[in-house]
Amino acid sequence: MIRRIITHVILALFAIFALFPIYFILITSISKIPLAALSASSLIPNMKSITLSSYRLILTNPQFPTWVKNSLIFGGVSAIVGVGMAAFTGYALSRFNFPGRRTLIYFIIAISQFPGIVLILPYYLMFAKLNLIDTYLGLLIPYSAGSIVFSGILVKNYIDSIPQELEEAAMVDGYTRTGAFFRVVLPLSKPILALGLLLAFVGPYTDYALANAFITSPGLYTLALGLYKVSQTVGAGGINYAVFSAFSFIMGAPIMILYIVFQKYIISGLTLGGVKG
Amino acid sequence: MEDAHAGLLFSIRRNWRAYVYLLPMIVVLLFLNLYPIAYTFYISLTDFGSGGPNSFFNVKFIGLSNYFHIFYSSYYLPQTIALLQNSVVWATGSIAIFIPLGLLLASLLNQPIRGKWIYRTVILIPWAMPAFISLLTWENMLNYEYGIVNSFLNLLHLPSVNWLGGSPLDVWSALFLTNTWLSFPFYTIVFLAAMQAIPSELYESAQIDGAGTWRMFSRITVPYILPTVLFVGITGWLFTFNNFYPIYLLTSGGPGFTSEIFVVEIYQTAFQDYSFAIAATYSVINFLILLVVAVIAIKYARLTQGWLK
Repeated sequence: MIRRIITHVILALFAIFALFPIYFILITSISKIPLAALSASSLIPNMKSITLSSYRLILTNPQFPTWVKNSLIFGGVSAIVGVGMAAFTGYALSRFNFPGRRTLIYFIIAISQFPGIVLILPYYLMFAKLNLIDTYLGLLIPYSAGSIVFSGILVKNYIDSIPQELEEAAMVDGYTRTGAFFRVVLPLSKPILALGLLLAFVGPYTDYALANAFITSPGLYTLALGLYKVSQTVGAGGINYAVFSAFSFIMGAPIMILYIVFQKYIISGLTLGGVKG
Repeated sequence: MEDAHAGLLFSIRRNWRAYVYLLPMIVVLLFLNLYPIAYTFYISLTDFGSGGPNSFFNVKFIGLSNYFHIFYSSYYLPQTIALLQNSVVWATGSIAIFIPLGLLLASLLNQPIRGKWIYRTVILIPWAMPAFISLLTWENMLNYEYGIVNSFLNLLHLPSVNWLGGSPLDVWSALFLTNTWLSFPFYTIVFLAAMQAIPSELYESAQIDGAGTWRMFSRITVPYILPTVLFVGITGWLFTFNNFYPIYLLTSGGPGFTSEIFVVEIYQTAFQDYSFAIAATYSVINFLILLVVAVIAIKYARLTQGWLK
């Protein structure tokens, strides 16, 4: 009995810890206090002081549609390109025992130790020579490349669990191996491809480091750059928490909901490689 | 010998499609990974951006001078030591919190308790929110003058703490707290999944033999999930060593050099100071350190076993 109570107390404490910052931005985003420190007492919403003016302020900002458009372009295009390449990668790694497979995997593990954040420097110097700094293409190339290895592993693990007999049956029916891949394996892999698209989208969608280094023209600004700017803007009475929180909520809530809905698939995709071994 | 040669050729011909399918990724790996890494090595051997405006247009090859500076000059050496210390503290400290905490919460959630799915879902929220957004929220919550954390402390008649700009202890506490918030859901869920894969007959027969909770945990649960813990621990350590955003967004490595780690210093040296050669040199050092750790991990913890099957 006592053990059960302790279990509930610990879990409840961590649930509150997990929830608090999200609750904080939600409550702050609808509060009337625009430019002041939020006191602990204002965490309980008062019906009289609820306002949507912060949301209105953001949504009517003339630059906001540009930021949304750019974020969708960078996230969407690079997710489609990256996951498209990853589908072939995952299939090859799963179904073929080709010479060089082991070397390739070790090579991937080795170069993964040179993280994306450190690649920004050589990219910057390379892309400057190609006049790609401050252009759509200059960001789309690294973004697309950034997701291919990770999505490739995700797809490989998923295809591992599809019985090979299905393709063999299709090949008996006269399909080529490539035909069997397109007609049998790809349709069965739809869930993991959708998931790969979501994960590959979130990277560029929330990227600050690369965009900040590459982008100077306001026409290419993204939501992430916009949010950063808002978060660092200190007004007369402090940081404008209400506007920052409303912005965070608009940008973060859709992703959060998708993650919660697809949690089962995302987690099994993320952990299969390690847990199964 | 000739047989082996013919066998290899045969195998290549039999699997030729694999190479076609892999072509896009191989192109990416060569041009957007291998070449930039080699280019970074090259930049680290030049004076690019480190000798006034001229060095941007008239790049000179200077051999290992940058490495010499970083390891011997009285200006850079203390920085280099601090970077190494902070990066190791950051990665090791984080993992030392995540793993026990993840194991604790996973074993609590692995019991038949009421409302389990509610806890599970709520605990996942930090992981579901994009880290970039949560980090800016934490930065604001931890703000010295206006933050909610200090206003809670004041409510309890405790003095405000300068979380993001105070003593090393305060700053590292804030960083670990935030990183724990970001990461504990993932570790909990991964360990929970591993625990749920343990056949329940093992526990049943142990119970018949009169084993207590702790005994079952140490004799059944731990040995079963150890490969997962090792894998997640090592990949998590490598990931945290390179985890840029928490430190960049919360403290930017400050105050002074208190929380500066390699990746943050590299970014700032390159894009705030434009000292490309020094940034490249630190990039190479960071890479070599992690490569050594990864090689040891592959050798001893069989990091690749899930991959190579």
